[in-house]
Amino acid sequence: MELTVKGLFKSFGEKEVLRDVNLSAASGSALGLLGRNGAGKTTTIRIIMGVFYPDKGEVLADGKPLDRKRVRIGYMPEERGLYPKKIISEQLVYLTMLRGMNSADARKACDKWLDRMGMTEYKNKKLETLSKGNQQKIQLAATLMCEPDIVILDEPFSGLDPVNAMLLKDVIKEMIDSGAVVLFSSHQMNYVEEFCSNISILNSGKIVADGRIADIKRSYPRDVIEISTQEPQKLSAHIIKTMGDRILTAEQPEKEGNILRIKMKSEQSKGELLSLVSAADTDIDSFRVCEPSLNDIFVQYTEAGI
Amino acid sequence: MKHILQVLRFEYLGIIKSKAFIITTVLFLVLIIGMAFLPGLILSIQSSGDEKKTETDKQVIAVVDKAYKDENTVKSEFAKSFEGYKVLISTEDNDTLSDKVDKQDYAFAVVIDEPLAITYITKNNSLFASQTARVAETVKGIYQTTSFDKLGVPAEISAKIISSEPKLSTVTTGTDQTKNYLSAYILMMMIYMAVILYGQLVAQSVVSEKNTRTMEMLITCAKPSHLMFGKVFGSGLAGITQLAVIVCTAVVSMRFVSMDSLPAELREMMNFPVDTALYALLFFVLGYFIYSFLLGAFASFASRSEDLNTLISPVMLVIVAVFMIVVIAINSGSVDSTLMIVCSYIPFSAPVAMFARAALSDVSIIEIIISVVIQLVTIYLLGMLASAIYRVGVLMYGKVPKPSAVIKLLSDQHKTNKAIRASKKGE
Repeated sequence: MELTVKGLFKSFGEKEVLRDVNLSAASGSALGLLGRNGAGKTTTIRIIMGVFYPDKGEVLADGKPLDRKRVRIGYMPEERGLYPKKIISEQLVYLTMLRGMNSADARKACDKWLDRMGMTEYKNKKLETLSKGNQQKIQLAATLMCEPDIVILDEPFSGLDPVNAMLLKDVIKEMIDSGAVVLFSSHQMNYVEEFCSNISILNSGKIVADGRIADIKRSYPRDVIEISTQEPQKLSAHIIKTMGDRILTAEQPEKEGNILRIKMKSEQSKGELLSLVSAADTDIDSFRVCEPSLNDIFVQYTEAGI
Repeated sequence: MKHILQVLRFEYLGIIKSKAFIITTVLFLVLIIGMAFLPGLILSIQSSGDEKKTETDKQVIAVVDKAYKDENTVKSEFAKSFEGYKVLISTEDNDTLSDKVDKQDYAFAVVIDEPLAITYITKNNSLFASQTARVAETVKGIYQTTSFDKLGVPAEISAKIISSEPKLSTVTTGTDQTKNYLSAYILMMMIYMAVILYGQLVAQSVVSEKNTRTMEMLITCAKPSHLMFGKVFGSGLAGITQLAVIVCTAVVSMRFVSMDSLPAELREMMNFPVDTALYALLFFVLGYFIYSFLLGAFASFASRSEDLNTLISPVMLVIVAVFMIVVIAINSGSVDSTLMIVCSYIPFSAPVAMFARAALSDVSIIEIIISVVIQLVTIYLLGMLASAIYRVGVLMYGKVPKPSAVIKLLSDQHKTNKAIRASKKGE
């Protein structure tokens, strides 16, 4: 299945929240929806969920308007919300039944997911008796119990310890492998890079960058080279002596480290640099083009605005 | 529809199983059973206590007769009026009498200064003038008897004339208000309390879902109108369950109590006609729906339960005002005044006003049907409006929006909905 969001516009009163938002995600892959607070991520998600109607634009599944009665959507809101004073299994079954599952299946799914989350012992406890991390796991169970075709996760990792984060990662990977469309919204870029092959960056209600993470990274000038060597100073002197006119800077980002970072005037000269370095009388551990991190890209695209 | 039933079931079970609900129900049951059995118990204890009272235990009334100089008549008339008291004919002066009354040697003292002028000396004057009225009545009796005596009318004949009263038989063609008054009053109180109580349950449930952000999940699972209707039906059903348990217990416990052991007022209360009770149920259900939709809609703007009271106070004010109007109308005997007739067709006051008229006056069935239909239509419209408000309100956090902002949001939403429907038709 392919989920497509086409030309969304949405205003609340005078405020324009979304301006021509386009997204696309296919089964078996995850799309990272990035943006600063207030950029319009939650509004986009709520339009996909059918909570809000867009002023213009549409949400399509395989080219047809998304039929939310047939396509099941599992949603984990950033603001976690379950009944604190109700029995866990009761509310899980209730929410899953509201999402269209019958009572018996919902009960089975409840047992299955509580087991998967390692939460079976809390089945008949009230939610408020659980720790924050465990409540988060219950929330994830509530999201995934309806066996969704589309999974929307808003900051799923906040508040989880490393072990639980690992469990969550495994579960998300399973969902992706099983062919669900996963929409992942987070400010923790390392997780986004881990799951998502594609990202869309929203800024002030507009998509400012989208596509495969690798392509976005490659679109940046590839003119910074990082060389790992035991003798960075010696190599640095050698390079400046030979190629000084084509190099902007040569520096060691860590004082005592063995990394040498060279910024060139043009990326065309990187082949020449490689042959120079390999011919030099220095032991080289690695030679690579330095790509911008997702964090850098995010900051660059979203710095102006809001 | 499926969603409404699921929400209804969840809400209903949630309320029924809650501690607060169980505790209030049990308290009510204890109260009902207490009301059924206690009066009999108290009466039996009292009557056994009465027997032990001897002549010396009786309270004393001191009477100073300066006008009639007829000790026997005065004493016998007072003894007749104040059974259970010992009547003492005294010659003490007012100061001594006041002293003794103050020390509670005498229950009270009466000085007959002139045939029709008396001084009544008492420690505490009651708010209700029943005692003084009885004293005045007694002295009036003495005056009449002695006057007849002076005219030469034999005592038996004069007594007969004085105590004669016309025999009154009433033929009621409409509703007998004297018979229905108390029961209608009680049922009306019950409607009023139940509407507030169960309507607030809806409001609280909306706020708590919003406060805990459960709404974020719910709103993506079901339509706001389904959530709203399910919630209102669920709480209403829980309310009816509670009322049913209470009424059944009352009926069953009455079986075990002999009616004679109950004081007259209580007996009268239990005797309400079945049709009045059925009207009460009907108008409770109608009133409940009208107000719970309103309360639910208002509550959807509260982010925290602290905001709830302020938000729903306009609705509460309306309920209280309606109740006051109807109570005043009943008390002044004008159940069919123009105001009441108007009120019984305005949907927000109709549940209480029309019930009062149906119970206490002779309202034609057509009038009741018209009022019920008006209320049903209002409920439908309010349900729709409440769902629309709820949809806008539940995802709004922070400051409570101004009414104008809400109206604008609603009209915007209406326009988008219309556009979407139009575009769907176009396809």
